[in-house]
Formats: sequence, C-alpha cells, structure tokens
Amino acid sequence: MKRAKKKELISLLAMVSPVSFWMALLIALPLIYILGISFCGTDEAHNIVLSPTLRNYARIFDPAIAGIYLNSLSVAGLATIFAILIGYPFAAIMANAKPFSKTLMYVALMLPFWTNCVIRLYAWRTILGSNGTLNFILLKLGLISKPLEIMFTRGAVVLGMVYTLLPFMVMPISTVLEKLDRGLLEASSDLGARPATTFLRVTLPLSAPGVFAGVIMVFIPALGFFFVSDLMGGGTSQLIGNLVERQFKESFNWPFGAALSVLLIAATLILVRLYTASGGQLDDLGAM
Amino acid sequence: MKNKLGLALAIFIVLSLSACANATPAASASGLSGELNVFVWTEYMPDTVFQKFTEETGVKTNVSTYSTNEDLLAKVKASNAGIYDIVVPSDYMVKMMIAEGLLEPLDKPKITNLQNIGQGYLNPSFDPGNVYSVPYMSGVAALVIDTEKVAEDITSFSQILDPAYANSIVALDDPRAVIGAVSKSLGYSLNTVDPTELAQTDVKLALLKPNIKLLDSDSPKSAMLSGEASIGYMWNAEIAICLEESDRFKAVFPEEGCYLFLDNLCVLKGAKNSANANEFINFILRPDVSKLVSDEYPYTNPNAAAVELLPESYKDNPASNVDPAIFTKGEYVADLPASELERYDDLWTRFVK
Repeated sequence: MKRAKKKELISLLAMVSPVSFWMALLIALPLIYILGISFCGTDEAHNIVLSPTLRNYARIFDPAIAGIYLNSLSVAGLATIFAILIGYPFAAIMANAKPFSKTLMYVALMLPFWTNCVIRLYAWRTILGSNGTLNFILLKLGLISKPLEIMFTRGAVVLGMVYTLLPFMVMPISTVLEKLDRGLLEASSDLGARPATTFLRVTLPLSAPGVFAGVIMVFIPALGFFFVSDLMGGGTSQLIGNLVERQFKESFNWPFGAALSVLLIAATLILVRLYTASGGQLDDLGAM
Repeated sequence: MKNKLGLALAIFIVLSLSACANATPAASASGLSGELNVFVWTEYMPDTVFQKFTEETGVKTNVSTYSTNEDLLAKVKASNAGIYDIVVPSDYMVKMMIAEGLLEPLDKPKITNLQNIGQGYLNPSFDPGNVYSVPYMSGVAALVIDTEKVAEDITSFSQILDPAYANSIVALDDPRAVIGAVSKSLGYSLNTVDPTELAQTDVKLALLKPNIKLLDSDSPKSAMLSGEASIGYMWNAEIAICLEESDRFKAVFPEEGCYLFLDNLCVLKGAKNSANANEFINFILRPDVSKLVSDEYPYTNPNAAAVELLPESYKDNPASNVDPAIFTKGEYVADLPASELERYDDLWTRFVK
C-alpha cells in the first residue's frame, strides 16, 4: 500500500514537475524581475541601475498619471456594468434555450474569436466613423443634420471594451445558470412568488458567483487593453495599459513601467482575493 | 496501468523538450554560409529587392520586421549576437547603437555605390564619416490639408492650434514628433530641454489637444482619405500617397521647420554573414535596386543616381521628392538623457490623459 503510494508520487512528480518548472520559468521569474526593477532607477543612457528607490512609486501620484488611473477605472467600470446589463439576459436566454439554439448562441459568441480582435475593432471605424455606415443611413433618413461624432471618444472606448469582453461575462453566468436547480424555482413559484420575485430572491443570489467571475474577467482586462483605447479612442483617452506600454517602448523607463504594472497586478490580486473570500472558485475563472 | 501511462507521458515530455533544445543550434549552424538575416521596419523594403539579391548572388535572405526604433534596440539587445546581420535604425538610434557598441564598422572599400548618395546625406552628425551606417531612405513629418474642408492657407504649425479646427486633426502617435513640432512652432529646437521653453510648449499642447481627433502612427493617411480628419500630421510617404489619391489634398511643410529622419543600413556587431551584409548594402545602393524600393514606398530617396531613374510621378510629388531646402531648415531628433526624456514623457502623459 505504502509502496504503491510512493510510486504514485514519483509518477505524479515526473508529470507535474516539467509543468511547474515551466510555470516558474515563464511566469514567476518575469514577475519577480518586474517587481525587482520597479525599485530600480535608470542612468542617463536609459540602462537599469541597481540603486534602490521608491521614486517610481512616488511618481504614480503625479496628477496626470493619477488622472489616467481614474480614467481607466471609470472606463473599466462602465464597460463592466454594460457587459452585465447585456450579458446577463443573454446568458439567461442561452441557459434556458433548446440544445440546438443553445449551440447556435455559443457559436455566435465564439465565432468572432476566429478573427483577430484588432481587425474587428477596425470594422467599428467603418461603421461608426463620421463618414461611416451608421451616419450615412441616419443622414439619408433625415434623422440627423450633421454626422454624429461617435468614434474617438471615451464612449467609443467603452463600446470597444464591452464588444471585446462580452463573451467573458456571458460564459461564467450561463455556466452558473445552467447548473441552477430548477426545483428551487418551482418551489418558489409554488410558494406564491411572482416571476420577478423569484428572479430577485432566488435566481440572482444563486447566480452571483457567475456574475462576480464575469466582473473579474471583464474589469481586469479592461484596465489594460491599450489597443482598444488606441483604436477606438484615437489615443487621446489613455488607459493604464497605454502608460505601461509607453514606458517600455518609447520612454525607455522600464523601472517606472514596472512600478505601474506592479500596482495593476496588486489591484488584480485584491479583486481575486475578494472573489475567493466571497466563495468564488478560482477554477471558474479559468473556465474560458 | 495508470502509473505506466503517466511515466510514458513524462518520458515523452522530457524527450520532446530535449529535441527542442537540440534543434536550435542545428538550425543556426547551417546559417554560417550563403545566408543573410535582415531586420528591417515593416512596410519598408519590398520583397522584389530580396528576390533580386538571391537571384544574383545565391544568398538566401531571411527577413524579420520591427515597427519602432525602440523595438529594434530592445530586440537586438535581448538576442544573441549573430541572429541578425543587417538592421535599419534611424539617425538618433544609430548614435545610440554605436554608443552601446552594437554596430560593426562597414567594409567601406566594398561599398563602392556609396558615391550614388547625394552629398547632403553623407557624413551625418550621428555617424561622422559614415563609419557604421549608409543612408537608406529619408523623410520629414509634415502637414497634409484637405482643401475642401480647410479654406485657410496654412503655412505654419501654429495655425493648426486655432480652435476653429476642433476635433479635426489626425497626428502621429509619437511624443517626440508632436511635442517637437509644437516646440518648433514657438521657435525652439525640437530637442529643447530648457524648462521655460518646455513650459511654454506645454501651454501650446493644451491648445492642440482639443483639435486632435485621433493619434495614429500605423496608417494616419486612412483618416485623411476617408474624410474622418481634415488636417494630418504624418510622415511624408503617407502624405505622398494622399496626394496621389486625390487633388483635394495639399502638402504643407511648416515654415518653422520640420522633424527630419534618415534611416540607415548598418551591420550588427558579431554578424555571422558580415561579408554578405556588406555586399547587400552595396546592392541596395545600386540605382536600379534603390528605384525598386521607391516604386513601392515613396519616401525621399537619398540616392541621387536612383532619383534620376524614378518616374515623373515621384519627382513631381512634393511629398516624395521633398525640396532640399526643407531638409536644410529641418531638425533631426536627438537622443535625450533619461532625466530629460522623463520630462517629455510627463508632457505627453498630460497631453493624452
């Protein structure tokens, strides 16, 4: 018995250790490096120098940079709210649909992933631009007298985020709703609750973990998706992601970029901690 | 049974990993002769050039691309010496790469076609005597105006700060190019580090901000061609394409002077195919080859002998065949020390927030 267990352990180690090794090499080491250099400075030739400093973190409190953080938070927050408002009904319909239409809805949700996200965002330019399809139709119908300025605004950035991230809201919610015990709904209605009450008192609380998982999977990427802000916002409504990208690529200030990233990672970990503390399962976040 | 399967899987994984480890040196070892690894900007060197080189010399070319000078520097520093033979850095980046010891002096006696390059492009300040670099293509950042929408005769950069042009400009998403142009509109250098001058630039940037509809470095011409923007600030080849597309566009080189760039062919230190690389550089400088590049990408060609071969459509396009006077008046961007670059970064952060 004991020998069998030992044997099992060896084969388990043999199987898991390469994975752990690569995880350590490809995920842990770069993160440790980022954390390390966030406390470094640069010399005048932009090389990273080992001189422990908190300057990079102090710089985050510059009003302009704090402004970008606030903009990011509000864009991500709005995108999350809209994703719930659109995603929840979609998930509910999908969870209750017949197998064929359910498959169809899954396909509709997943199919866009076959095309690169950047290309799909460019399509919005063609649709929403001042000389785009939407304005053309509205002008022809006489509903507006001059083109609506939709593209290259903060609203367009939110739209792009919702569009890109909606599937990540729908999937966890529909998973939870599918597992929902129908008996509970029947019991609620047998006890005299109207559908609205049943939804508010039974369905919604029971699907909350799915919503929370969706919130995490929409809110966190929305803080960092710099290409959405570049393409939809025209680069003048920047997010934390843009700021980080610029430090690494144009401003040669890796330590400052690292400090900005560390703050973002910390915010992410806090959110995930809140999620698990409220009873969420980490496995559900990996569902996609 | 389950255990055996696990063991077999583990062995398979280990074997496939070691196979990977073996494969890499084998592949690069074969590159010692008869190959050339070129690392160049996207959309900058046409395939026809590489095909012709292979046809004539039998040397196989491998091409990788980058989209910013900073990308180039980061990738060269991060990879082993010998991965790339040829790189095409811009002016200030040549200086940085020389300073970091990343470039190899050129085999000048072999590069006989250097005589084809116009005198004004030789012996640049960033590489005196062309020890490490020879000019490839050149250009300026300038304005393009949609004359159907903009009635005013625009001649200077300061005119586009007018609130009349609210939400109508597409500009390069490039801090040094935009901040530099605003500094120049005030009569300062685009490399100024003077705090009072930068403070005034900051004030003007705040005026420019509401006029910017979008920042785009990849294809700013698209916003002009689609009518999304009526004023554009972009590289001259993009402007040249606008002018080719429609008569409604007009190129304007602001009277305060333009942001200039000169991209250069260089050989990396430790290049495995250094002889091929020098031969390739000489090949590119040949008038007929340089013409092939200009046919595809209408930047300003510093190769005087090639310009003679180019059609009227190049010579008559003011945004391709840029007046030499513009180059005399313009300014190259300089590599700033980290503490100064941080100030530019702060200006840009305020501009884009």
